[in-house]
Amino acid sequence: MSAPGSHVAHHFPDLETQAHAARLGMWLFLATEVLLFAGLFTAYALYRMLYPSAFAGASKLIETSMGALNTVVLITSSLTVALAFHYSKESRSKLAAALLLVTLALGGVFLVVKYLEYSHHFHDGHLPGRFYSYAALQVPGASMFWTVYFLMTGLHGIHVVIGMGVLAWLAVGAWRGSYGGAYSTPLEVGGLYWHLVDLVWIFLFPLLYLI
Amino acid sequence: MSAPEHASHKHGPGRYVAVWAALLVFTALTVGLGRIHLAGGWSIVIAMVIATVKASLVVLFFMHMKEHGGASRLVLATTLVFVALLMGLVLLDNATRFPLANPPTEATLPLMPPGPDATLPAAVPARAAH
Amino acid sequence: MSLSPVSIPPPSAEPAPLFNERNYLVAERGWRSWLTTLDHKRIGMIYLVLTLVAFLLGGIYAMVIRVELLTPGPTIIEAVTYNKAFTLHGVIMILLFMIPAIPGIFGNFFIPLMIGARDVAFPRLNLLSVYLYLAGMLIAIFGMIHGGADTGWTFYTPYSTTTITKVWPILLGGFILGMGSIVTGLNFIVTIHTLRAPGITWMKMPLFIWSAYATSVIQVLATPVLGITLLLVAVENVFGFGVFDPARGGDPVLFQHLFWFYSHPAVYIMILPAMGVISEVIQAFSRKNVFGYRAVALSSLGIAFVGFFTWGHHLFTSGQSAVDAGVFGVLTMFVGIFTAIKVFNWTATLYRGSISFQTPFAYVVAFLFFLVFGGMTGIALATVALDVHWQDTYFVVAHFHFIMVGGTITGFLGAIHYWWPKMTGKMYSEKWGLIAATFIFLGFNFTFVPQFLLGNAGMPRRYYSYPERFWPLNVASTAGASVLALGFVIILVYLLLSLKYGKPAGPNPWGSRGYEWQTLSPPPVENFESQPTYPRPPHDYDDANPAKEFH
Repeated sequence: MSAPGSHVAHHFPDLETQAHAARLGMWLFLATEVLLFAGLFTAYALYRMLYPSAFAGASKLIETSMGALNTVVLITSSLTVALAFHYSKESRSKLAAALLLVTLALGGVFLVVKYLEYSHHFHDGHLPGRFYSYAALQVPGASMFWTVYFLMTGLHGIHVVIGMGVLAWLAVGAWRGSYGGAYSTPLEVGGLYWHLVDLVWIFLFPLLYLI
Repeated sequence: MSAPEHASHKHGPGRYVAVWAALLVFTALTVGLGRIHLAGGWSIVIAMVIATVKASLVVLFFMHMKEHGGASRLVLATTLVFVALLMGLVLLDNATRFPLANPPTEATLPLMPPGPDATLPAAVPARAAH
Repeated sequence: MSLSPVSIPPPSAEPAPLFNERNYLVAERGWRSWLTTLDHKRIGMIYLVLTLVAFLLGGIYAMVIRVELLTPGPTIIEAVTYNKAFTLHGVIMILLFMIPAIPGIFGNFFIPLMIGARDVAFPRLNLLSVYLYLAGMLIAIFGMIHGGADTGWTFYTPYSTTTITKVWPILLGGFILGMGSIVTGLNFIVTIHTLRAPGITWMKMPLFIWSAYATSVIQVLATPVLGITLLLVAVENVFGFGVFDPARGGDPVLFQHLFWFYSHPAVYIMILPAMGVISEVIQAFSRKNVFGYRAVALSSLGIAFVGFFTWGHHLFTSGQSAVDAGVFGVLTMFVGIFTAIKVFNWTATLYRGSISFQTPFAYVVAFLFFLVFGGMTGIALATVALDVHWQDTYFVVAHFHFIMVGGTITGFLGAIHYWWPKMTGKMYSEKWGLIAATFIFLGFNFTFVPQFLLGNAGMPRRYYSYPERFWPLNVASTAGASVLALGFVIILVYLLLSLKYGKPAGPNPWGSRGYEWQTLSPPPVENFESQPTYPRPPHDYDDANPAKEFH
């Protein structure tokens, strides 16, 4: 069975099985996340189908360049997480920790950009439901665009914050040398979560910004 | 240590950077195409195709689905089937419904029977606009 | 050469003790050891206590409803209290009892034992699921004390977003319970994939494992959609974003779609584990391996899959399009095919079996009767034109109680009577067991058969008062409910008494060949004294003179 001081829990036969279980568990968790977002994507598709011109009109009020910038930021952060795992497997823990810090910083940039966009929308009354007060676009369903916009980006933003918490914790562990070699599984599954955050944004960007 | 672990270890960091570059290219492409408005629903189809390609790159290489297949592939495939199911049957409902059973849209507002305006979207100041 | 499907290398020549003194219950002592336990068996026992508390609470609400309906007008409570009572009855029974009960108790306890594992894949997540359950339960109870919701457990908009009663605590409780349910399902899937002992291939897994696997798939895939739906209602309730509000361009029917995308498959979260229990018990008590193992195993996955294609049959009269209604109506009937596969295979298993009619088997018989009756009325309800007549009447109430009470709770009772000796090491009174089963069977029929008649005659569900012509059948239903409740009380009493006065059960009182019976009763902390090997499928009675081997 497991050698003393190894990372294998008593109910797993070996490290390989344990890593496989962790990966599978994480993929199942990601499946639940995808279906959580699927509810919102369904609402989006339905209301875009019902109110095509309202969605097109409202979409013009958000700055494509900001969304594109955030897309680049998140894609790059995905790269740094993937590299962190790569170097952790080569037991270069300090480099992995540094890459995780870069990822954290990119997550921070994403949130700042999002904050700037939100404050612009709050200022102009581009708001959901009963808060909608943008006089220049008054067609049925105009406020519904902002409802789905804020729900989708808001839920995504919450995931960014949670992901940053996970990455910070992993960065500390990597810095202390807790992971390395074959035992880089925590970095791998934490990275999977962050990639999901990126994946959701890859779809949100064209759906919200490029109508 | 079994074979798949070695396979994932074979490539250097270069592969990740290449995938990253491809993702940036596709982002530029989708932004560029977004500025051109195509007739019909083609804009969204193309945007979604590009997004799917980008997502596939992330899943296959960043998330290592290329090396670790098996159960996680099954999980992802099943998930996508059920997402499609949810969206498909909900949209089918609204698309084939008696029009006035949908919430009022620009197309159906003029068809509404006369009556108090309480059920009209708040964003519309008055029926007279139509 | 043992005939058993499991061979455990004997650690010593001594015969197995009748009561294992070194068991998981006493391995550690004190409250703290229970609150922080990572042992799947102890977590199963914690779920047993918690879900029984929930069942008691939901049962009290059920009796309040039935007593209120004893007379056509006001009987004991006001109309708004009645509305809260049926809401809480539904929420508690579904979210706090039927969904977590069989997976939480028997899944946790027996999945590792049945696949020869030391524990589930993620023991800490398993403990987390208990605390999520507890948190959800406490928040829901808080919501009951502080006003309570009156929307029905379905929380339909626009009523749930405009009612003056406090809905959000129940929504939040439901959200947290959903997270607990997801964690349990995820844990089971990974456990079944990665921790099967050498020798237990997919097609040698006990049938309870197959049904637990199918259940977990639904839990993982459907529950998040409920999560987002409850969040959307809460957001709508608090902020008025208009997602489901037609005055702001929203579609209230979208809520129903999202809600039932979870809540219809949730019915299979409730019934599939019960079907797994029945598959185990029926083999043990007819001393035959199941007829058509492959068909029974795969039909669990079939039900789980097809169960996702049927949610629209709740929306036939809600403004859903005729096209969608037709599609959903037809797809719903496919569930009947997979259920029938199971029922016919079970019946074929009984044929020429050497049946011993003990308490667990009594519940198998009841289960088969109720499931077929409830299932057939379900097929009728899936027929769009008939449903227009029955929608929201007591016919629907009776139909789903036949499946949920007649199916799930009967399966639950079968499970607890079958596995009680393994879990506690003690035998209960067989005589009282059969008496209580009789009470349950008769009480159940007297409660719900009149409701079919009431519904068909046009009595709507969830109404506080009714015309006098419905009076006699309502009295019959309330009387039946009292007999049913008495049956549950008897069961609780003799099970509790058995803990102190029951005979030691021995490792295998039923002579079952299920894998889980090959360890001591109650099992030791490490599940098996030494790692067993699995040369043969579970419940392999083929070569047998089973009676000789045991006792």
